[in-house]
Amino acid sequence: MGSSSRSGGLTIRDVGMVYRRRDQVTTALTGCTLDIPEGGWASLIGASGCGKSTLLRILADIVKPTSGVALVGGVSPAEARSARTFALVSQQSTMLPWRKILANVELGLEVAGVDKAARRRSAEEAIELVGLKGFEQAFPSELSGGMRQRAAIARALTLKPRFLLMDEPFGALDEITREKLNFELLRILKETSATLLLVTHSISEAIILSDTVAVMSPRPGRISHRVEIGFGHDRTNAMRDDPAFGAYEAELRHALHGPASSARPASHPIPAFAIH
Amino acid sequence: MALQTEAIAKSGSLSWPGLGPTARALSSRPRAVLAPLAVLIIVLALWQGLAASGAISPLILPSPTAIAGAFAIDGGNLFYHAAYTTMEALSGFVLGNLLGLALAVAFLYSDLSRRTVYPLAMAAQAVPIVAIAPALILWFGNGMAPKVFVTVFLVFFPMLVNALRGLRSADAEVMELLYTLSASPRQELVMVRLPASVPFLFNALKISACACFVAAIVAEWIAADRGLGHLIVLYGSQYRMPQVWAAVLIGTVVSMAVYGLVVLAEARLAPWLTRQRPISD
Ligand SMILES: Nc1ncnc2c1ncn2[C@@H]1O[C@H](COP(=O)(O)OP(=O)(O)OP(=O)(O)O)[C@@H](O)[C@H]1O
Ligand SMILES: [Mg+2]
Repeated sequence: MGSSSRSGGLTIRDVGMVYRRRDQVTTALTGCTLDIPEGGWASLIGASGCGKSTLLRILADIVKPTSGVALVGGVSPAEARSARTFALVSQQSTMLPWRKILANVELGLEVAGVDKAARRRSAEEAIELVGLKGFEQAFPSELSGGMRQRAAIARALTLKPRFLLMDEPFGALDEITREKLNFELLRILKETSATLLLVTHSISEAIILSDTVAVMSPRPGRISHRVEIGFGHDRTNAMRDDPAFGAYEAELRHALHGPASSARPASHPIPAFAIH
Repeated sequence: MALQTEAIAKSGSLSWPGLGPTARALSSRPRAVLAPLAVLIIVLALWQGLAASGAISPLILPSPTAIAGAFAIDGGNLFYHAAYTTMEALSGFVLGNLLGLALAVAFLYSDLSRRTVYPLAMAAQAVPIVAIAPALILWFGNGMAPKVFVTVFLVFFPMLVNALRGLRSADAEVMELLYTLSASPRQELVMVRLPASVPFLFNALKISACACFVAAIVAEWIAADRGLGHLIVLYGSQYRMPQVWAAVLIGTVVSMAVYGLVVLAEARLAPWLTRQRPISD
């Protein structure tokens, strides 16, 4: 099923994005192409401001690209959104401040019209999974940033989405919690055969959680490198000791800050800020 | 219409903070209650002394004990009329605030209604409603209706202005979340817009908690055979000043009680606004 021309995965074809705000024009993305087959796992890494969130927001139908095509499961992001095939964990791990954590985690299912008992069960399960048991009755303002992130992940997981779009979901977590959740996420992805697109600033996290790591470079944002991670889908913490892991790390580090940026300038340098 | 302009000015300075401490002061800090109480007692004592010394005519300002005496003589009458005014004021309070909120929701979803009705609502605010009270009495009779009408009139606008703001106050991120979850407009209203507007709604409720009594009493001055406003006019014409002041005192206490209930309701219904504050200090 994955090899048809209308891929059932995530497709970004020649996507460009220009933000216009009064007299300021920002080219956030230019000529981005990325294909993630159904059930595949991909990460986006790159410097701050290079357009990673923008790419995710295009797939989540929050903004429309100014050029190119984005497909989620072979259909437009708008169709995917109304069919509720994807879940987005936003960079801000948004919570409704007037809802306690349990009700926040239930929100997605509540909006989808799932009955109370069933959504309560899913939410409690997801809360347990992300290690927030005991905080069901706390308000978001009473939690730390990392705990809110985990609540946002829990909310996305209750939806059992075919496509999981995550924007730095583990950014505020300590190393140990982060790694634990990385492997929980892998388990869930395998269980549900969901497709993952993850934005991260951690090279090792990108390797652990991906078949493909796309490296983005800024001004204007584009995908400059693609590194295939050949670890298959049966992964354990031992993969870190694999010499291949270190090699991927080195390759990605080079792609991020290595000679590439100075030796290979953008083919058509467009100033990020141009006067309109 | 000083009352209205003041109300609008207050509603304009929207305030998330500053509301919580009041609720806390009422419930958990005896000092916050005792200190003003002590000041009140000192003021009353000075007042009593001044009145007893004969420096001020009892016609201009009767002594606190004379006012207390008025309660002893005319207490039943005073409370009966206070209850009547309270009924008018609270009917106006409820109806006016519901009207304001309903209009705000309608304006949110229908641009046409906002463009056609909002200017009219603002123009209506400029009508000196008390000045046309005689006409209202011709239309609605001498009973509660014209008083409730005046109260509704003075109450709905602060609610409309605040609710309009509150319904649009939800964070863009929160609205985006509901959007990606593919929520319906009704879910958006119930799950986000209304809860987000709660601090704004309580702002309006606090303004109108006291304003509704002023409105009802002023409307009673024009023409009424019952209510505190009627009583004040009646006792005033008989130069029974302690009774006049006793009526004023009841009105003050009742409207303060309504204000207090609004503050308590806020602490109760919007715990997320107050709960994160530390209990101490
Ligand atoms: N709503 C917007 N209006 C105007 N410009 C925007 C908007 N959102 C993003 N941008 C611009 O687009 C560029 C890419 O932003 P984006 O948020 O996608 O970066 P990012 O890669 O996610 O960065 P970070 O790692 O810091 O989250 C930035 O230059 C930013 O200023
Ligand atoms: Mg971002």
